[in-house]
Amino acid sequence: MNAIAAWKQGLSEGWKSLAEGWDHVRQRAGAAMTRYSRDRIPEVPPLDDGFPLSSPHWGLLAGEVFEDRGRIVVRLEAPGIDVEDFDLQVEGGTLRVRGEKRSVRESGEGAWRMTERAYGTFERSIRLPAPVRAEKATASYRQGVLRIELPKVNAAEPPRRVKVKVG
Amino acid sequence: MDMTQKGLDREATQAQATPLVPAVDIWEDAQGITLEADMPGVAKDNLSIGIDGDTLTLEGTVALGEPAKMQDVYAEVRVAQYRRSFTLSRDLDRDRIEAHLANGVLTLRIPKTEAAKPRRIEVKA
Repeated sequence: MNAIAAWKQGLSEGWKSLAEGWDHVRQRAGAAMTRYSRDRIPEVPPLDDGFPLSSPHWGLLAGEVFEDRGRIVVRLEAPGIDVEDFDLQVEGGTLRVRGEKRSVRESGEGAWRMTERAYGTFERSIRLPAPVRAEKATASYRQGVLRIELPKVNAAEPPRRVKVKVG
Repeated sequence: MDMTQKGLDREATQAQATPLVPAVDIWEDAQGITLEADMPGVAKDNLSIGIDGDTLTLEGTVALGEPAKMQDVYAEVRVAQYRRSFTLSRDLDRDRIEAHLANGVLTLRIPKTEAAKPRRIEVKA
């Protein structure tokens, strides 16, 4: 099991047993923050499944790719992001999704805090299963899920680099 | 994600029994506690926030409505249910919880009871 997998499992197990009140939360918070701090997270080894995750801080960002005869649909879970903070590009046979999630909290005046959710920038490169007409691509963002629809072309057309605007 | 983890995910999907545990941020201030939970894909109508005694339970169902005839090329998100429970301490006022859902993020504001809020005590000379 690699670091991310162990980390995810640790999370679910740890939190299911959370039944002792907020004191218990406070005890666990220290560990949670260490786990998520930028410097302590080990690098994710390169993946060869065609769906590499570039940023180790976004290990819970999950994606799906669907296709039918005419189009490819990519969905990415990316909760809590402003639409302007997405940057989508199609280059060669790859869709690259970049984004930034900003923390709205200035500073904690409270006695304690706990942070499990990822902040900062992320990037995912998704290898597309067929050539697409990137200039006709559309994207939408609803309920924290980014959905990108890319019409297919016949393989003869050369791939181009195009920016996709999120609407 | 390595093969072991993929195997685990697949088992969880097949069993349809293990809901996803949403990641949360929780922070406290003098007036109460704020909780933010990532629940992407959950619409307001598919979200439930329940309080049973001291237990606060968040549950949500993912409904993305993709046409069923589309073929999966690659899928990581297959569990369609989120669930997570928390125990509320007695100094939190469970009758005045406010909830807000936007961009797949649920925000809960749980105020402290009046008795639990910090009070300044004037010292008389």
